[in-house]
Amino acid sequence: MKSGLLALVAGACALAMGASAHADTFKVGVLLPSPVADVGWARQQDLGREAMEKECGPDVKATVVDNVSEGPDAARVMNQMMTGGAKFIVLGSFGYMNDGLRAAKQHPDVDFIHASGYKQTKNFGTFTARNYEGFYLGGMAAAMVTKSNTIGIVAAFAVPEVVAEVDAIGLAVQKVNPDAKVKIIWLNSWFDPPKAQQAARALVSQGADVLFSLHQDTPSVVNVAEAEKVYVVNTSSDMSKYGPHSVLASVTNDWTDYFVEQCKAAREGTFKGADFRGGLAAGTVKMAAWSKDLTEEQMAKIKQAEEDIKSGKQHVFAGPIKDKDGKLRVKEGENLPDPEIFGLNWLVAGLDGSIPK
Amino acid sequence: METLTFVLSGTLIAATPLLIAALGELVAEKAGVLNLSIEGMMALGAAIAFITVTTTGSYWLALLTGGLAAVLLAALFAAVVLFALGNQVATGLAVGILGVGLAGLIGKPYDSMTVAPMPRLPIPFLSDLPVVGRGLFDHVALVYVAPIAAVGLWWMFRHSKLGLVLRAAGESPETTHAIGYNVIAVRFLAVLFGGFMAGVAGGFISIASATLWSDGLIAGRGWIVIALVVFGTWRAERVAIGAYLFGFATIGELLVQSTGLAVPSQLLTSIPYIATIAAIALLSMDGRRVRLNAPVSLGRVYRETQ
Repeated sequence: MKSGLLALVAGACALAMGASAHADTFKVGVLLPSPVADVGWARQQDLGREAMEKECGPDVKATVVDNVSEGPDAARVMNQMMTGGAKFIVLGSFGYMNDGLRAAKQHPDVDFIHASGYKQTKNFGTFTARNYEGFYLGGMAAAMVTKSNTIGIVAAFAVPEVVAEVDAIGLAVQKVNPDAKVKIIWLNSWFDPPKAQQAARALVSQGADVLFSLHQDTPSVVNVAEAEKVYVVNTSSDMSKYGPHSVLASVTNDWTDYFVEQCKAAREGTFKGADFRGGLAAGTVKMAAWSKDLTEEQMAKIKQAEEDIKSGKQHVFAGPIKDKDGKLRVKEGENLPDPEIFGLNWLVAGLDGSIPK
Repeated sequence: METLTFVLSGTLIAATPLLIAALGELVAEKAGVLNLSIEGMMALGAAIAFITVTTTGSYWLALLTGGLAAVLLAALFAAVVLFALGNQVATGLAVGILGVGLAGLIGKPYDSMTVAPMPRLPIPFLSDLPVVGRGLFDHVALVYVAPIAAVGLWWMFRHSKLGLVLRAAGESPETTHAIGYNVIAVRFLAVLFGGFMAGVAGGFISIASATLWSDGLIAGRGWIVIALVVFGTWRAERVAIGAYLFGFATIGELLVQSTGLAVPSQLLTSIPYIATIAAIALLSMDGRRVRLNAPVSLGRVYRETQ
């Protein structure tokens, strides 16, 4: 009898707490493919989560689950979040697409945003950074500082997003310093720091004195650049503390504004599953850690290009653009349209390498 | 850095951790225990070694603590398979996953941090040779120790009593028991040795070659190690050849890409695996002799009887 009463009281308490938790908080969930570390892709997304807690509303509680592998694990975490009352979910990896779409269909009251995806529904939006705009500026800087006229790129996978970055570097180098060669190594792996480092050393052994680290979440390539005394431009976070002498620039991603805006929309019921592509103008892509070795004159040129890209005066993929085989891909006076930028599968002329098909 | 220097030094750096861990696995397998948890042991060793360097600054202590951390994991594995008679494959997989997870958890505060690389030990005179000097003789000590250890193990298995006892435990534990050896103890120590080597190999990656820690740093190398032992047909010298070949192919792949040759990079990425398999398959064409080398009781549960 006594224990029955206790259970009843406990149950009532739990019910009351549960109810108040529902009334008082707007729950947000963030799924990330890799561990939230000091720097990297997951880190930048986690900064977006922090911003949502601060700015989306006083009642917002955003939790992150990192290192979630794509597939059944991701679906399980999503379900757990929704059972826990999450009404807005950020999917931080392309590979969560199918599970996310299914969850969005089953739970029309929950809004989703999905990284790098191409499918939208009314409660499922997508977001991508126009990193290629940043790498165009990085390419300009690389072409200015290289003494050996050899630039090396360590790239993860030849997916369109990364190919666009490689092409942007190629276009910038061609424009600023047509004598410079650009060499590419595809790692065919998203995460293998020792291999990224060996690739960086291979490029240095082939004369590269500026390296690009495309989509390496750790400072692996930056570390090699510092040791080998060459320059490096990296992705995602400011990595200058790992390479105080070597980092020429960092192309960073800032998701805070976009996450907060979407979180607010979800909270107020005005969410639309849209496709967001943020570049320099939107502030999603931000240049950081410009090296002091760049002269004022060089910096002025880079800053001018940055302003022109922001204002729309200059387009990174403005014609004429020829591909590696000499075929004219973009005519004079035309720009490569968005769907083609985000589906790029060819290399521009002047790049030394090929695309794995 | 010249191309040849890079190829030589890159090959050694890529191959050394594989060789060290593979020699450890070789000893365990020769004694009859298939340890599939190498990936986890390497990860834990890498994390602990990295943390030791960041907190104490001592590289040798780091390799020791990294090795010992993996020994603890190995002891857990050995206790389950030798005393509780657990299935070696299942236990190995479970302990391996545990190790990777544990390494990620313990290393979390250190994720993406870097350390100064372990000081190199250039060999006097030899390291001054043009090209080859910097490529072969200007490395951290472990790079020279690994091939010496391979020769040492080859000698041990072939010419020493210790080697005979280890092999006997892996071939016919009943006989070994009958002639008065404690099979369980022999196997236990062999597994601990394997764990220590895996931990040191992991430490080499985090403090001497990659000089950073991050979750997932080992990136599947623990599985290459196990494959090397099998394709090396349980012989130390072949395991060593396999490790260096694999290292060379890894470097060659990157080098070919960096020269801009129009070869599909997925094909290049698979070359290390193909080349290693092909070469060792050639070395061990004679199936009869391969079976001669494979420990007969490998992976089998041994129950001590009176």
